[in-house]
Amino acid sequence: MPSRAGTPTGDPLIEARDVTRVYRRPRTSLTRPGEAVHALKGVSLTVRRGERHGIVGESGSGKSTLLRLLCALDRPTGGSIRFDGQEITGLPERRLAFLRRDLQIVFQDPMSSLDPRMRVRDIVAEPLVALGRPVGGRVAELLEEVGLPASAADRYPHQFSGGQRQRIAIARALAPRPTVLVADEPVSALDVSVRGQILNLLADLVDEHGLTLVFVSHDLAVVRHVCETVAVMNGGEIVETGPVDDVWARPAHPYTRTLLQAVPTLEGLL
Amino acid sequence: MLKVDRLSVHAGPVELVREVSFGIAPGERVGLIGESGSGKSLTALSLMGLLPEGVTATGTARLEGRDLVGVPERRLKDLRGRRVSMVFQEPMTALNPLMRVGAQVTEVMTLHGVPAARARERAVELLGRVRLPQPAQVARAYPHQLSGGQRQRVMLAIALANEPDLLICDEPTTALDVTVQKQMLELIAEVAPALLFITHDLAVVASVCDRVLVMYGGRVVESGPLREVFARPRHRYTEGLLAASRLTPRGTRLATIAGSVPPAGHFPGGCVFRNRCPHATPACESEPALTGDGHAFACWHPHG
Repeated sequence: MPSRAGTPTGDPLIEARDVTRVYRRPRTSLTRPGEAVHALKGVSLTVRRGERHGIVGESGSGKSTLLRLLCALDRPTGGSIRFDGQEITGLPERRLAFLRRDLQIVFQDPMSSLDPRMRVRDIVAEPLVALGRPVGGRVAELLEEVGLPASAADRYPHQFSGGQRQRIAIARALAPRPTVLVADEPVSALDVSVRGQILNLLADLVDEHGLTLVFVSHDLAVVRHVCETVAVMNGGEIVETGPVDDVWARPAHPYTRTLLQAVPTLEGLL
Repeated sequence: MLKVDRLSVHAGPVELVREVSFGIAPGERVGLIGESGSGKSLTALSLMGLLPEGVTATGTARLEGRDLVGVPERRLKDLRGRRVSMVFQEPMTALNPLMRVGAQVTEVMTLHGVPAARARERAVELLGRVRLPQPAQVARAYPHQLSGGQRQRVMLAIALANEPDLLICDEPTTALDVTVQKQMLELIAEVAPALLFITHDLAVVASVCDRVLVMYGGRVVESGPLREVFARPRHRYTEGLLAASRLTPRGTRLATIAGSVPPAGHFPGGCVFRNRCPHATPACESEPALTGDGHAFACWHPHG
């Protein structure tokens, strides 16, 4: 593919090739197996080192399935996924330690992704403990980095607002000093007035630590603010990919056009 | 047609909504916007007489001369679903999973005295009116067999069944995909007799409503014609909310409002926004009144 203006030039860090994932519905008959659902139909995606790569799609587009596969939380039915040159599909969990350290995830709903019975200190330290690393003063350091007071460590998730809980989730993700941050709809559950705080924080952290960011969202406008590259998913396929400004200004695929027209904007109406 | 006057909602000693007043004319589409904890849903629920136990409403709300607040349940039952009805955010929890959707549309009519055979016929008509393809088949389906967008259309058919005077929608499209949301918003705008539309999404309200009320900390802090309020916000909270909604180009900072929405009962006295407001002065310790004709705001240091 010819390199277009604005295309990041780092070496490929995550490379997915022809990835498929077929789920089976529970069987409804004794004689026939359950119906097959083709959640991913041959998806190829390259995320370069230092890139901010967005994945956009609606429910059922396959974006969550793709994300689970990229994070090795699920196995593909076919195809290959390489992380930093190493094939991760089919690796047993005990050989995935490098991925568990280098790639960390921030989920959509901080209420359900934080254990309500753990103190913030233990939540943030958990990835370090799991990797057998010393915790030391790292928790206080991380809390400060995400803009929370050190006193937050002794409290429980329910004592925080949605935005603050997402800060806790980000602190946890940064604990093992990952190189890749995967954010799955990190601001969808937040109020508008705190959405900007979290997006600004993510941008700062990605810059400071030179992180590679994979940012999943249903909202192309948010992806455009955060990422330089985007892949648009529909029906288990990537229907369009490229620099986000190109995709935004000149959508090539009819689905991308539909998606862009459907997003309500303040600018268009006033 | 609807006239709400100094509506307040309390949970024990905690004031959750404070002296909200507004009116809706026939055919008018009014947006109630605010973030979580602003009191917008409680305002709507008190108009429906659906406040949770231990939460009470005071003040008055009259729909076509009939009181909605402080009247016994037996009177409300007659109005709810007939004169005023509501579409909720989550169609999966609002619909009965064990009942076919046609029967659920029928039920709301038979409850208000429509003969069963006529109600069944009309249920299919209504499912067609909310643009569900093959309404007769849909009527025989259970909620789990429908998509989120289809379920929300069923909710709308139920709400419209008795030709209410007022339709209340509480975040009706928040759980839907954007392409489905667009169709749903167009449909609501088309079929609503008079509309009170509750949302946290400024862009959504801008595509549906003619007038907005901005709520924060249980109070209406600004109200007026939508274009006017969005183009020239006066209250500092509205100004901040609009700025925060604008996604600027990559590499730039997004505008934010400092801090976060306090939990109920922990808003400051005086102006409720003053602990997050960059323009707050000691004057803000006393409560500003909502003043202005048409475009009203409650702020000591308004923008513009």
